[in-house]
Amino acid sequence: MWLPLLGLILGISLGLLTDIQIPSVYENYLSIAVLAALDTLFGGIRAQLQHVYDDKVFVSGFFFNIALAAGLAFLGVHLGVDLYLAAIFAFGVRLFQNIAVIRRIILTKWSERKGTID
Amino acid sequence: MKQGVYVRFTAILLIVGFMIAVQYNTVQKPESRDTRDIWAIRQDLSTEKQLHSELLSDIRDINETITKYENLQSDSPVQALNDTLSSLRKKAGLTEVTGPGLELIVEPSLEAIALGQNVTSISPDLLVRLLNEINRFNGQHVSIDGKRIINSSPIRDINGQTTVNSLIIQTPPFDIRIGTDTQEAAEKLYNHLKSSNITDDFYIDNLTLKIGEPKNEVTVPGFDQPINTKYLKNTSKGD
Repeated sequence: MWLPLLGLILGISLGLLTDIQIPSVYENYLSIAVLAALDTLFGGIRAQLQHVYDDKVFVSGFFFNIALAAGLAFLGVHLGVDLYLAAIFAFGVRLFQNIAVIRRIILTKWSERKGTID
Repeated sequence: MKQGVYVRFTAILLIVGFMIAVQYNTVQKPESRDTRDIWAIRQDLSTEKQLHSELLSDIRDINETITKYENLQSDSPVQALNDTLSSLRKKAGLTEVTGPGLELIVEPSLEAIALGQNVTSISPDLLVRLLNEINRFNGQHVSIDGKRIINSSPIRDINGQTTVNSLIIQTPPFDIRIGTDTQEAAEKLYNHLKSSNITDDFYIDNLTLKIGEPKNEVTVPGFDQPINTKYLKNTSKGD
């Protein structure tokens, strides 16, 4: 349970300590990549809770989503259309849905456990 | 199965955390934009060029010293080392210096005397301001009331009395001696001090600053206290 949290903390401290900065031109790409990563992550948690988790889907989804989002943003910049908004919208909606599903599952589990105790 | 899931989540979270941290770094500390106009850039360029020429002359000096060492290696290396040592001592302000320069005299202003106002000691801020003015125009060796100013000289207020090198300076009148490299530099400094408004600053404090004519021979005393080198370290050999 604590291992993933440790990974997150390690990643954040690694990023903060190395003090890496990317040029402001690429800021959009990174923000969208972060969003894609979060989306995949919550999707993975949901799948795990619904017992439909698949390693290949999760790992490939993570990298593929990031690449797709960055590619879309790149295309948008060159076409003069803010396509990254599409990615933000899609990932944002899915993020909310996934979190809602996770919440429901956890709530159901919690009330079931309470029911058995009572 | 369960263990594998955790490991994958950990790896993905590591990447996510790293990306978030990089994004945070980028957003929080944007690279400062260069907003100088062409004249500011030209000015910066000219300061850099001046620095460049100063560095070049430093390099020439050091090269000269090296050739001197090489020439004297067979004859007397001690002599060469002593020469360097004494030139360094002179640079650091440990020796008495005689050469072209100016003499300034700080006195209570006539108005203050006429009105019977109490003349207090000069404020450290004013002294620092005067010293900055002198340094801006290449006053190389400065002594205030016989206390030689070196790079680490403190000028401050101790218990209501102004001190230089932790020694109390007397209430005005006292003299400030400035040694320069050349007579020309002394004249430049003289003109600069005359035209600057430092004398007005002295007048506000009921003092007058008398700026003496440039002289051929001014003697600036050396720094006679031990130098505190608390934060200096020996470099290792070969550095």
